[in-house]
Amino acid sequence: MSQLTLLILQLAFLALLWVFVFVVVYSIRSDLFGRRVKRLPDAAANTFPSAAPPTFPASGQAPSAAVAGAAGAGAAASLTAVTEAVGTSAPEAGPKSKVPIFTPLEGSHAGTHPRATTGNATRLVITSGAKSGTEIPLGTMALTIGRSTDSSVVIRDDYTSTHHARLMVWNEEWMIQDLDSTNGTFLDGKRVTSPMTVPLNTPIKIGATSFELRR
Amino acid sequence: MTAPRPGGNAGTPPRGIRRIRVPQKLRNLELFLVVFACGINAAAVALVQLGALGGIDLATMLTLGLGLSVLVLGMHVALRFVAPNADPFILPIATVVNGIGIAMIYRIDVSRNVSGWDSTAVRQVVWSGLAIVLALGVILLIRNYRVLQRYTYVAMFLAGILLLLPMLPGIGREVYGARVWIGIGPFSFQPGEIAKIFLAVFFAGYLVQRRDSLSMVGRKVLGIRFPRARDLGPILVLWALSMSVIVFQRDLGTALLYFGLFVVMLYVATGRTSWIVVGGGLFSLGAVIASQVLPYVNDRFTAWLDPFNQKRYEEIGGSYQLVQGLFGLGNGGLIGTGLGEGRPDITPLAQSDYIFASLGEELGLAGVFAVLALYLLFVARGLRISFAGHDDFGRLLGVGLSFVFALQCFIVIGGVTRVIPLTGLTTPFMAAGGSSLVANWIIAALLIRLSDTVRNQPRLVI
Repeated sequence: MSQLTLLILQLAFLALLWVFVFVVVYSIRSDLFGRRVKRLPDAAANTFPSAAPPTFPASGQAPSAAVAGAAGAGAAASLTAVTEAVGTSAPEAGPKSKVPIFTPLEGSHAGTHPRATTGNATRLVITSGAKSGTEIPLGTMALTIGRSTDSSVVIRDDYTSTHHARLMVWNEEWMIQDLDSTNGTFLDGKRVTSPMTVPLNTPIKIGATSFELRR
Repeated sequence: MTAPRPGGNAGTPPRGIRRIRVPQKLRNLELFLVVFACGINAAAVALVQLGALGGIDLATMLTLGLGLSVLVLGMHVALRFVAPNADPFILPIATVVNGIGIAMIYRIDVSRNVSGWDSTAVRQVVWSGLAIVLALGVILLIRNYRVLQRYTYVAMFLAGILLLLPMLPGIGREVYGARVWIGIGPFSFQPGEIAKIFLAVFFAGYLVQRRDSLSMVGRKVLGIRFPRARDLGPILVLWALSMSVIVFQRDLGTALLYFGLFVVMLYVATGRTSWIVVGGGLFSLGAVIASQVLPYVNDRFTAWLDPFNQKRYEEIGGSYQLVQGLFGLGNGGLIGTGLGEGRPDITPLAQSDYIFASLGEELGLAGVFAVLALYLLFVARGLRISFAGHDDFGRLLGVGLSFVFALQCFIVIGGVTRVIPLTGLTTPFMAAGGSSLVANWIIAALLIRLSDTVRNQPRLVI
C-alpha cells in the first residue's frame, strides 16, 4: 500500500470522525437554540364545545384554551406550551371556581359502579378544570398528584398541595389516598380521609380539577 | 415530541395520548449514530492494520470490531424497551471513544508483537463487554434513580470501603509507586474508579439535605459570603480524605478528582462562589505542602516545570515519559503520522496512561480535537440532562457524574500535555484497563437512566 493511499485514507478517517462530531452537534441544535413553541390556537374553545361535561354545571368550568391530547409525554417544549396555556386560562377559571362545589352525578354513588381494577380501568379522564377532556393511560404504576413537578399529574392551582394525593394499586384495585392535603381530596363528594377504593366513572375532585377512572 | 394538538371532533371523545403513537425518534437517531460509530471503529482497526501490517487481517478485525458492535447494538435494543426516552447521544459517543481506544491499544499490541490473550486489545474488548453488560444491569436495576437517595449513607460507606481496599495487606498492590490497586490472582482492579460513582451519589444525597445550612449563613468579605467556621466541617473532612489519599495511596490525581467533585457539587448545590475559593485554596495549600514534604510529589512538580533538563530526563522517576509523550504529540503534528505508522510504543504506558499521546501522534491535532469534542459533547449532554431534571437529587447527581468525568479528562489530558503536573489517571473510555471502563460505562448508564426519567415525568401538567 503506497504512502499516498495511506495518507488519503488517514484524511478520510479524520473527516469521518469530524462528520460524526458534527452530526451529533447538528442533532442537538434544538437544545442549543430551543425548540419551537407551538402557539395554542385561540379558537380551540369554540371548536371544542363539549369539552366540559354537561353533568357538571355548578363547577362552572368554561372549556378553556387547554386542548385535549396535550399530555406531557415528554419534550420540555410541550411542557412550556402547556404552562403558558395554564397561565392564560387560570385567571378566568380561578374566580368562578373559588369555592369548589361538588355536584354529584345524578344517580351515581359509589355503590352502583364496579370498582376500578387494573383490569377494567384503562384511562384517567379529566372531567372538569382547565384541562377537561384530557386523558392519560393508566398502567399498573401508582400516580402521584400534586403541585410539585415530580408528580405524575401536576395540577397548578391555588387549591392543590405540593404532594396532594396518590392513586395506587392495592391487590389490583385502584385506591385513592389523600396525602394530608390542605384542601382535601373528594371521592364522589366525600372527603377522603383514609385510602379508599375508587369505583369506575366516579369523580375524584382535587382543587378545581376532577377526574374519573374509565374503561 | 407530542406537541399540543387540537383534540378530535365532538363525536368521538378525544382519546389523548393513547392515539398518538410516538415513533421512537430518539432511539432511531441513536441507532443511526451507533451504526455510524461502529463504522468508525471498524475503519480505525482497518487503518491500523493497513499502516502497521500492510494488509487486512480479517479475523482480528472481526474479533475487535464485532465484539463491541454487537454489545452496543444489544444495549441499544434493550434501551428501546427499558428506557425509550433516554438521551440518544450518550451511547454512540461512548462507543466511538471506546472503539478508537481499542484500535489504538491494538496498534501498540501490533508493535509489541503480542496476540491472543496476551493482547491488551483483546482483553480490552472483553472488559468493554463486561462493562456494557454491567451498565445494562444498572439501567435494568435502577428503574427510578431516586431510589439511590435512600442509600446516601450506604453509598458513603461503600465509597470508604472501596478507597480503603488497596491499603489492606494481601490484596492491595502497589503499581508504579501508587497504591490504588487490588489484585486477586491474575486479576487487578482499581476500586477508586467505582468509588467516585458512590461518592457522587453520597454527595448528591447529602447536599440535598444540608445545603440550606451551607448556603444561608455566613459573613461577607469582599463581596463574597463566606461560610461560618462550623459549616466548614464537611469540606475539611473531604480535604483530609484527599490529603490522606495523596499521602498513603500516593496518587495525586485521585485526590484532586474526589476533592474537585465535592467542591463543585457544593458550589452547584449552594450557588456560593466562596466554596470554590475555599476549596481551591485548601487544595493548593495541600498540594504545595505535599510537594515540599513528599518526594514523589516533588518529582512530579519538578518534572512538570523543567522536563527538558537532561539530568531530569535520564533519572528514574524523572521526566522521560512526559517528554516522550510530548515528542510523540510533536511528531504527530496537524494530521498525524497515520494510524499504525508512528512510534507511540516508545512511550512507557502508551496503552493506558499515555494513550492520549499515542492518539495524538497517529491522528494528530485534528484527531485529538475530535476526541476532545466527543468528550465535551458527552459532558454537555450530562449537564443538560441534569439541568432538565425535576428534583434536586437528580440534578445534583447528574452534575456530579458529568463533572467527575470532565475533571478526569482534564487531569489526565492536562498531565500528558504538560498543563498540570502529570498524575496517573485513566483517560475515560479509552485507556486500557477494566476498572476505568466499568466505571465510565456505569456513569453513562446512570446518565441514560436520568435522562429517561427526566423525559418521562410528569405525564400531565394542568
